[in-house]
This record gives sequence, structure tokens and C-alpha cells, in this order.
Amino acid sequence: MKLTVDRTLCDGNGVCMGIAPDVFDVDDDLVLHIADEIPGDPVVHAQIRQAVTSCPVLALTLEE
Amino acid sequence: MVGNTSQTIVVAGGSLAGHTVVAELDRHGFTGDVVWVRGPEGTAPYSRPALSKELIRGRVTDEAIRLPAPREYGLRLRIMDLAVCARLDPDADRVLVTPAAEAGRETGGEWIPFDALFVCTGMRARLPKGFAGLPGVHCLRTLADAGRIRERLAGRPRAVVVGAGLVGSEMAASLRSCGLPVELVDQGRLPMEPVFGAELGRFSLERHHAHGVTTRMPATVTGLSAAGPEGPVSLTFDDGQETTAGLVILGLGAVTACDWLDGGGLDLSDGLACDAALRTARPNVLAAGDVANWRNPVFGERMRVEHWSNASAQARHAVGSWLAGQEGREPPAFADVPYFWSDQYGLKYQMVGHARGHDEVRVEEAGGEGYPFVTYLKDGRIVAAAGVNAPRAVMRMKARIQSEGTTTQGVHA
Ligand SMILES: Cc1cc2nc3c(=O)[nH]c(=O)nc-3n(C[C@H](O)[C@H](O)[C@H](O)COP(=O)(O)OP(=O)(O)OC[C@H]3O[C@@H](n4cnc5c(N)ncnc54)[C@H](O)[C@@H]3O)c2cc1C
Ligand code: SF4
Repeated sequence: MKLTVDRTLCDGNGVCMGIAPDVFDVDDDLVLHIADEIPGDPVVHAQIRQAVTSCPVLALTLEE
Repeated sequence: MVGNTSQTIVVAGGSLAGHTVVAELDRHGFTGDVVWVRGPEGTAPYSRPALSKELIRGRVTDEAIRLPAPREYGLRLRIMDLAVCARLDPDADRVLVTPAAEAGRETGGEWIPFDALFVCTGMRARLPKGFAGLPGVHCLRTLADAGRIRERLAGRPRAVVVGAGLVGSEMAASLRSCGLPVELVDQGRLPMEPVFGAELGRFSLERHHAHGVTTRMPATVTGLSAAGPEGPVSLTFDDGQETTAGLVILGLGAVTACDWLDGGGLDLSDGLACDAALRTARPNVLAAGDVANWRNPVFGERMRVEHWSNASAQARHAVGSWLAGQEGREPPAFADVPYFWSDQYGLKYQMVGHARGHDEVRVEEAGGEGYPFVTYLKDGRIVAAAGVNAPRAVMRMKARIQSEGTTTQGVHA
């Protein structure tokens, strides 16, 4: 799973963080950090897919 | 692979909830037919939150906010644009689909039998009679609304935003950053007070003033009239005062778009009533998104949530509920802590939980700037939290409300 964010689009609204808090973390400067190691848990993978399709500015890309 | 080739699923609604239902059916490899009735807008699904933010400010194009869709679905999919679900047969599992303009008239159209119906018809802007159709007066719910507003922005006319809820407050901020003189009007004392309470309402009022937006609160608009297609709009208020504007935005909230289900044997008293697993009284009719009223076990209450994340999460869940039923399993409840954000003057307002009926508020500071951070309690338990530029603190509360709610209420409520 390769997960990338387009920083020119991401505005730090935290939708992804609300869905998959183990993977996405938005800091108080509204900068998104993606976990270096993506957990192997299928539940987390489902959350990641949901986060990618729910990002309201279409900033996330996932290659499986 | 799920389902069988003789089954038909109808998905009503062409926004986030409908889009996600279709994507989920695709992901599960549903082998039957899917009929996706996308509604009156005539556009592929797009990001509605972007309308009052990036799009109004001209930061992105219409194309850039389209929701990602596969180039080709693996589904046997029929997409019906500019078509609406106009009626649900009370005695048989079939819906009447008509061309959008004919909706409500019931001439022609096509009855489509279904094995499952997903109702994702969301909401439409609330527009009092007499306020609709006046030149220069706009609400904001759709891409077409946003286009009409953008056409008015050249020349930077004076704008009056009526209604300081989430969309109205965002629009005041976005129009201001486009250089327009802006006045924000509300019946209440403070912007967004019904959502966030007095503390963040006051904070937001100060922000509007600091950016040069004037406010008229509390005030009620009693009359609106336009002097021709290009002329200014006159507004009168309950205290007898008047003002004029080149652009009026009505941010008066939205109403659920489920009147078409009237007579279909379903409870429509506040949106479409569902059980905890998002099934209606007709178990093969399910709902997701702004339209769905369900019993949320985290709070032990019925609610309807008008926010983005909820629509995608419910859509996934509703598909799962239907599939569970197909396999003879009892589906789990949709136990979720609602979340939304709002962008105003570069600040991010965020809220988690369900504050309705709270009886106590605690105010602290959080985040880098030490802006107010509010927790809302009911019977001593935290039910919601809101902050500005403090995503970590807000999300910690989301996890806490979820785990405490799930322990006290039980998920299979
Ligand atoms: C300007 C604006 C800004 C927003 N900003 C935010 C934000 O910052 N954060 C946040 O969390 N939320 C925000 N929201 C709310 C968010 O956009 C909604 O919660 C979300 O769009 C709900 O999706 P939905 O699919 O349930 O319904 P909707 O988006 O309302 O879509 C319903 C769809 O059904 C179609 N339809 C209607 N009637 C019929 C019919 N009879 N048959 C077939 N189709 C029909 C409609 O045309 C539409 O395509 C905002 C909303 C607006 C209007
Ligand atoms: S949902 Fe999208 S815009 Fe929001 S923080 Fe995540 S990547 Fe950024």
C-alpha cells in the first residue's frame, strides 16, 4: 500500500484523521503527517480506502 | 462476488452518499444490476464542502472537485442523470423514476423494480417563498448555485449574507477574502451559536469584525425586493431598517429531500427514519447521508447528521447492512461520533460528537494559538467537543466519546 498526499491541495480538514487516526495525523499548524509504517491490519486498510475516497479536496492517492 | 445476476439495486442520489454506495457495491463485486438515479443536478458527484470554500474563492475549477470514480465500474451500472426518484410504491418493491423537470407531476416515467433501494437524496436549501428567484439573491447548495454566485462577483458588489450558520459564516468569510464588502445578518445574537454555543460564537463574531465584515444581529429579514436583473436588492428588517446589496446570499439551512417517499409506508417525520443498522421499516430500503435519521448507539439517541464524513461512512455501512441481511446475518449498528469542520479566514473550526441537549460546557484553550476549546457534557459525560486549529485535541475527544459511548450504551442497542 503506497499512500501519498498532494500538499498543494490538502487543507488539513482532518476528515482522513477522523477515519483512520492511526495513519493520519494533522498537527496544530494544519499540516498532515502520514504514518511511515502502515499497519497490516485489514480494518486499517479499509479505513485508509474510505479516507482516500472521502477526502473533500481529493488530495490523497493510494496505490495498492 | 456478492448478490446474484437477477437482482437489481436502485441508488437514489448523486452526491457523496450515493457515490459511496455505488463504489462499495463495485468493491464487493455485486453481480446484479445497479440503477443509479443521480437527481436533478445533471453533474457527476462533486465535493459540496468545496463550494463555499475553494470554489467560491476561485482557487479550484469545477472539474477539480469531482469525486474520484473508476474509469470503468466493474458493475452492470445504469446511470440516470437529470432523473429523479419520484415515488415509492407502497405495495411493491418498485420506484417511479421521472425526468427531473417532471418530478411531482407523475406523467410518464419508468417504474423500476428493486431488490434493494438506497435512499441518498440528502437535502436541498431552505428557501422561503417570495425569496426565491429574485435576481441577485442566491442560496448555496449546488455547483450551479456556486456558478451563479461567481458570475456576480466581478465588480465586487456589496454582499449581504442572511443566516450566520456554518454555510453563511463561511460564505461571509470567503466573499470577504474575494474583496467584497460584506454584512452578515442573523436572527440570533452570535454566528453559529446554535452549533457551537456562545463561547465560539463570540470568537467567530470577533473574527468577522477583525476582517471588516459588519454584522446585524439579532435581526430578521422581513422583505426582499430587486430593482431589475442587474439592479440592487433591497432588504428590510424587523426593526424597520433597510439596506441594499448587489448580492444577497441566503444561508437559511436546508431541508431533507425525501418528500418523494411520501405514501411509501415510511416514517418521514425528520428525514427518513432507520433502525440502528440504517434499514427503514421496509428492510430492503436503506438510507445514508444527510437524509438518514437513525438511532446512534454511541449517544443512545436518534439523530440526523448533515456533515460530509457521515455521508461516506453511512453509505459503506448501509451496503454492509444489506449484504449481511442477504447472508442471514444480523448487521451491526452504525455507532459513530459525528465530525465536521468549517473554514473561515484561514482558521479551521472543528467539532466532534453530538452537543444537542448538553447541560454543561467547559472552556479551555488548546492548539498552537491557544484558541478556545469547548467540551459539551450531558449528565456529566462528554458528548461533544469543538476547537479552532486544534485537530489533535478534537480528535482525541472523538476517540474518547466513541469508547465511552460504546461502553455505556452497548453497540447492539
Ligand atoms: C455549501 C456547503 C458547504 C458544506 N461544507 C461542509 C463542511 O465544511 N464540512 C462538512 O462536514 N460538511 C459540509 N457540508 C455538508 C455536506 O456537503 C453534506 O453533509 C453532504 O453533501 C451530504 O451528502 P449526501 O450524499 O447525503 O446528500 P447531498 O449532498 O445533499 O446529495 C443529495 C443528492 O441527491 C440528489 N437528489 C435529490 N432528490 C432526489 C431524487 N428525488 N431522486 C434522485 N436524486 C435526488 C441531489 O441532486 C443530490 O445529488 C456542506 C454543505 C454545503 C451545501
Ligand atoms: S482529508 Fe484530505 S484535505 Fe483533509 S487532512 Fe486528509 S488529506 Fe488533507
